[in-house]
Amino acid sequence: MKMAYSSILDWIDFFKDPMDSPYYPFDTYNLAYDIGFKLHEILGGTIAWLINLLFPGNGVSEWLMCDYVSTIMALLIFMILIFLVAFVSVLIVLWLERKLLGRMMDRRGTMIGMKGFLQCVADGLKTFMKENTIPKKVDKMTYMWCVSLIVGLSVLVACMVPLSSRWYVVDYQTGLLIIMAFFALAPFLILVSGWAQNNKYSLIGGMRAAELMISYEVPMLILICTTALAAGSFNIGDIVYYQNEHLWFFIPQILGFIVFFFCATAEAERVPFDIAEAEAELVEGWQTEYAGMKWGLIMLADYLRGTVSCGMVVILYLGGWTLPFIGDGPIPEIVFLLKAYFVFFLMVLLRAAMARVRTDQILNIGWKVFMPLSVINLAIVIVLKTGGLI
Amino acid sequence: MTIKYLDKYPKNLAKSLWVMKPVWTVFKLFGKTVTHRSMTILYPYEKEWIPENYRGRPGLRFDKCVGCGMCVRMCPTACIKLIEVDDDAGKKVMRPQVNVGRCAMCGYCAEYCPVDAMTVTPEYELAEYTRYDLLYGPRRLNYEGTTEGMEVHLELTLPSDIENGNPERRVRLADLDKPELTDSKCIGCKKCAKVCPVGAVKMVEKGVNDKGKPIVRPEFDNAKCIGCSNCIIDCPKNALELKEVL
Repeated sequence: MKMAYSSILDWIDFFKDPMDSPYYPFDTYNLAYDIGFKLHEILGGTIAWLINLLFPGNGVSEWLMCDYVSTIMALLIFMILIFLVAFVSVLIVLWLERKLLGRMMDRRGTMIGMKGFLQCVADGLKTFMKENTIPKKVDKMTYMWCVSLIVGLSVLVACMVPLSSRWYVVDYQTGLLIIMAFFALAPFLILVSGWAQNNKYSLIGGMRAAELMISYEVPMLILICTTALAAGSFNIGDIVYYQNEHLWFFIPQILGFIVFFFCATAEAERVPFDIAEAEAELVEGWQTEYAGMKWGLIMLADYLRGTVSCGMVVILYLGGWTLPFIGDGPIPEIVFLLKAYFVFFLMVLLRAAMARVRTDQILNIGWKVFMPLSVINLAIVIVLKTGGLI
Repeated sequence: MTIKYLDKYPKNLAKSLWVMKPVWTVFKLFGKTVTHRSMTILYPYEKEWIPENYRGRPGLRFDKCVGCGMCVRMCPTACIKLIEVDDDAGKKVMRPQVNVGRCAMCGYCAEYCPVDAMTVTPEYELAEYTRYDLLYGPRRLNYEGTTEGMEVHLELTLPSDIENGNPERRVRLADLDKPELTDSKCIGCKKCAKVCPVGAVKMVEKGVNDKGKPIVRPEFDNAKCIGCSNCIIDCPKNALELKEVL
């Protein structure tokens, strides 16, 4: 029999370890889940205490705070948290791109609120207010499914990139392969959606996306295999800690780093490899028939993919979330994001400096320059690995 | 076959590093714009410095104006019109009114104004809600803080002056062109005396004619004349013409 009045402290146990729960869904400590668990502990505990005040001794309060429900609620908050972090980091990337590009062009960039950061919010509101127009002659099912899948896949991949050993969704043994597989799906959907829109610009854009994909995908996969070979694992955490123990991979694999950087730029379809969008030639490339919020989401997905590209470069070559001599440090997530923003800065520099690659050059670049370079890089890594140098 | 494909590689691999040149240029510019301010200015909040004699909308010094209509004649877009207004003493006088909507801001009115009543002003933000509001009357044309630098003078030195060893700048219009009378054409109607805005024309009696009536002929006071050519335009018999000083 419970007391008629119970203190709120009876319901909130802030120092409860989530790993003690029998339903704990991860193998290792997960910071995002821990925050979700503690948030549920505070909010759910308060609600449970209030319900208990009104109806003393009821079952709902007990049920709300039991292990099973708290795991589910913590997982929900965990998902929102993981998405929010990915989303906010993408907004920062958007702001960085506009501001840096402005500086590189000797202008000011965005100026609305918080040094121009609120411009993304204004843009989001603007695209949200727009009418949802769908052209009459498009193949409606493919048209809608493609945009949903592109946006969905991009968000999925952005959430799957681990920010540190304690900020991840799933800790796969083959995490690198799975991320790259999802990452490489989007160009295929771009081709399909270009076909579905019944528009010559979209069709040309889709075809170009396919051309771009076959030109950069092969050297990129060779480079990923090289890195996996050097680290001896496809697990992202293993790769990062191997680099931390030995040497950041961009020193022995400087060729691979450069080639992978260009391939990642192409993967995110950024200038100079934005031939699928090509604003100056095709109206808006494969996005021509998408209007309003659909276009806004595609734009967001583009930048999500750009962030993931930067993240992959950081994981494979720049030592992920670790720092030399320090290792993990107190805030590995911030270290990871800062490194990713640095790589993004290089991408923006490339964008400001370079013209778009012609469609007839891209296959030459991919197969005659990048592929031999990546194979040479693979040979170097094999020699170093057999010599026991890395 | 293999050789054919190999031919497509760049001969000098170092030359293919040209891609680094624009990157380096952009990086230098980036460093400059991060440490200093960028070229663009935030227009409504910041304004560029403009010189004193910036040719914005025309301004008018009401009391200096004599109403000669030189600006009306010189305006290339025909946006100036003489209208009748009361001056400070309540007398009816003719003063220019400018339609700023048509004004090309060329500053010719200020350049040719014989008494420097018309000036240029550094005012260039002239948007209004209706086209009627763009009509600037003589009083509205007044610009507070008119300085010496806003007057535009038409200064030139004649080649003949240089030859004569007297290369002074001729500032007044009257020094360049002077009205001259063809005596046989004149009928003595006194119109020139009436239209002269500064009273430089005086009608003088020069004997009597066959019927015993007095013959009057205009005489020009060169010190007073401003060279506005009103008398020449209004002469009914084309007896006056503007003679250029050579």
